[in-house]
Amino acid sequence: MLRTETSEAEDDGTGVEELEEQPAEEPTTQLKAVVPSVEAQLAPPRVRKIDFVGRRNWYFAFSLLIIIPGIFFMAHSGFKLGIDFAGGTEFTVNFPSQPSQAQVEAAVASENAGGTVISTGGGGYIIRTLPLTPALQKGFETDLTNKVGPYELQQVLEVGGTIAGETIRLALFSVFLAAIVILGLLTFWFRNVPGGWRAGFQFGGSALAALLHDVFLLTGVFAILGTGLNLRIGEINSLFVTAVLTVVGFSVHDTIVVFDRIRENLRVSQRLSFEQVVNISIMQTLVRSIITSFTVVLVLVAILVSGGDTLKGFALALLIGIVSGTYSSIFNAAPLLVVWRRLQPLR
Amino acid sequence: MQLVLSWPVRLLIIGLLLFSLFVDGAGYWYRIANHYPLTGNVAGLPPNFGGWQLYFHKGLDLAGGTHIEYQLTNFPAGQTRADVQQKTITVIAKRVNSLGVSEPEIRGAGNNDRITVDLAGVTADQAQKVIGAVNRLVYTTWVKDDKVTGGAQAGYKPQLTGLTGDDISSATAVIDQSGIGWVVNIQFSSHGADLFGKLTTDNVAACPGDPNTSIAANCAQRHLAIWLDLSPNDIANWEDTAYASKVSLNYDTACLATATPTTICPKMLVDAVTLQPILGGNAVITGGGSGGFTQQAAQDLATGITAGSLPVDLQVLSVQQVGSTLGAQSVKLSIAAGLLGLSIVVLFMIIYYRVPGSLASLALLFYAGVVFATFKVVPVTLTLAGITGFILSVGMAVDANVLIFERFKEEVRAGRTIPAAVDAAVRRAWPAIWNSNVSTIFTCLILAGVGPNAVKGFAITLLIGVFASLISSIIVTHNLLAIVMAGGRFRRPSLMGVDRVRST
Repeated sequence: MLRTETSEAEDDGTGVEELEEQPAEEPTTQLKAVVPSVEAQLAPPRVRKIDFVGRRNWYFAFSLLIIIPGIFFMAHSGFKLGIDFAGGTEFTVNFPSQPSQAQVEAAVASENAGGTVISTGGGGYIIRTLPLTPALQKGFETDLTNKVGPYELQQVLEVGGTIAGETIRLALFSVFLAAIVILGLLTFWFRNVPGGWRAGFQFGGSALAALLHDVFLLTGVFAILGTGLNLRIGEINSLFVTAVLTVVGFSVHDTIVVFDRIRENLRVSQRLSFEQVVNISIMQTLVRSIITSFTVVLVLVAILVSGGDTLKGFALALLIGIVSGTYSSIFNAAPLLVVWRRLQPLR
Repeated sequence: MQLVLSWPVRLLIIGLLLFSLFVDGAGYWYRIANHYPLTGNVAGLPPNFGGWQLYFHKGLDLAGGTHIEYQLTNFPAGQTRADVQQKTITVIAKRVNSLGVSEPEIRGAGNNDRITVDLAGVTADQAQKVIGAVNRLVYTTWVKDDKVTGGAQAGYKPQLTGLTGDDISSATAVIDQSGIGWVVNIQFSSHGADLFGKLTTDNVAACPGDPNTSIAANCAQRHLAIWLDLSPNDIANWEDTAYASKVSLNYDTACLATATPTTICPKMLVDAVTLQPILGGNAVITGGGSGGFTQQAAQDLATGITAGSLPVDLQVLSVQQVGSTLGAQSVKLSIAAGLLGLSIVVLFMIIYYRVPGSLASLALLFYAGVVFATFKVVPVTLTLAGITGFILSVGMAVDANVLIFERFKEEVRAGRTIPAAVDAAVRRAWPAIWNSNVSTIFTCLILAGVGPNAVKGFAITLLIGVFASLISSIIVTHNLLAIVMAGGRFRRPSLMGVDRVRST
């Protein structure tokens, strides 16, 4: 990636050979060590060469370390459902008088509507009850004023249970359809690497695996947050579904950038092994991958910290998904391609 | 890529820029031209340029209001579901109009068996009452009562006949046989037809002296009136002149829906004279006089008669009511978060990539301008998720630039001159940018096409963002770079962000 003044003169424009000829430094193994390597790119004494491909099993294991517990929680206790999936009535209210949670809970309990009360701070409460008819809802609101005090009704959400199933069914169908289309597109685009259509299919399949990795990781983490740790931010609602589907798009975006570099390097450097080409390509796109994710992460952190309450879960889901998408494109998709190529050699 | 410095491309960019400036600035221009204050809510807005309204369409989570999703059940036999859904939408639209909501959105959804209603600035309570109201349509005859002085027929009060909206199978506005005026055709069910036949026969018999050919010649007993929700209690109060006059005004569904026991609402639909006994179950209401009804009046009456009974039952699937303060607060917070994120990105780009980073930031402004203009023109209804989608697409716009600039550094280090490196960088980064954006476009199309409803709007904002980012990052940044490079002054690698990686 970096070269001396002398090597520049004979450079062929790819820098592949030079990099390979540099003595490899002690390989950095942990994910933690990879992130500071942005700094290493800025003012390094030498280029650090990270062995992404050789240590792939560690990276696969790291992913599984999160995904397997996630799947366990999903299968064992499912998700914590937001109001638009669970069904029921949710009032978001703000009492200027700032009553205690116990006060509000007492008032809600007396309604016999199966209510739960969540404090959002500063006199703000979210009250969830069974589905209420408009008349009952009116009565509930009046009683609340009488028992606790005047309040500002910021949001009322009432959902019957039927929508959730449909949203999830359509979301799964969309992911399925997107997966097929992406597999097809990548197979088509990468058919011109040595190996032809079958090689293209390996690229497409690896990208698909990275995509599924991200989807399972994201849903798994939310299952853990929601039912494992019982946090409200881990609730699954239609915004979460939106986040998952967005992550699908972004994940492929990242993977394609790495794969494109592999395709290009395969063309110009015939004397390197496939494994070496993949590793170099990851190195060459590493700065870009980190910078791009970094900028998106900055924006999402800004939303997470300062955005409204409704957006926090959404921002967190996108954050996890984007980081996972970058990780999987570097540490899973490309190494997986090497594994596949070994199992099914093409040349 | 012959995109650099070619005049057609530059004209396209300049055209897009002017268009965006016009659309984005339209609101301010309009306010200045009409001497409105520059900020805040003003009557007379949104701006209107020859019928073309340019402003952000805010979703309910931003504007505040009510969103209701209805499931249609009990479809009548013998009509297609699409027709019934359309008819129901018409009825709901009619009822909602009486609320005076600006831009109510009433859409069909699902498999012709759902309807969603979006009403800004209305509480869920009001909306559900008005939309779900089961107004009872009743027919009355007039009976003599000397104490009555007001109402539609002085000296007479209405008498319920037992003929109700349940006995009507359809009411439609059609052009009459002369082909000029409009009339309303009413079709009765078989039970209704019998009753209606008897009523009209009695009616005509009640005033035998009237020649049945003259509309002007009539007596009160020969009239049949149609009302919404007229109750025996109303009739008992008929001797109160003010009361009778109020009730006899043209019906008001909003008043009826929100009525308390003490409110007096206008309830009359029509008070028509019976020309002859009508036995077949097919009645025609003509407007009277020579012109008959206008098209509007006939349609209003027909909808009024059918609105008395929705063709299906409405079952509420979900209701969302957002207070306007929460909406305004959400807007503020998400705009603040977006601006904060954007400025961090711009700062980072300028510090890390120097001149190209600054140019990319300019391109980013162009990008934002084009996207906002597109949102206003399409128009896209902005929701919280949509705004986040836009902010995310900024990330994609930056990504294409980062790809090009990283490539550019490599090319410079490989010994190319700076202008040659710019071209090579764009050319070599292109496949990755193209492939990744096309895959995102496909994902967005799938989501907008078959995705869950909640995701569709978001997918469209993301789609617009991806297209604009392709234009801005490839064409605009590249052209700006080429123009700056042509100057020669900025060719020093240190200004191109390459210096810090000088080899040791």
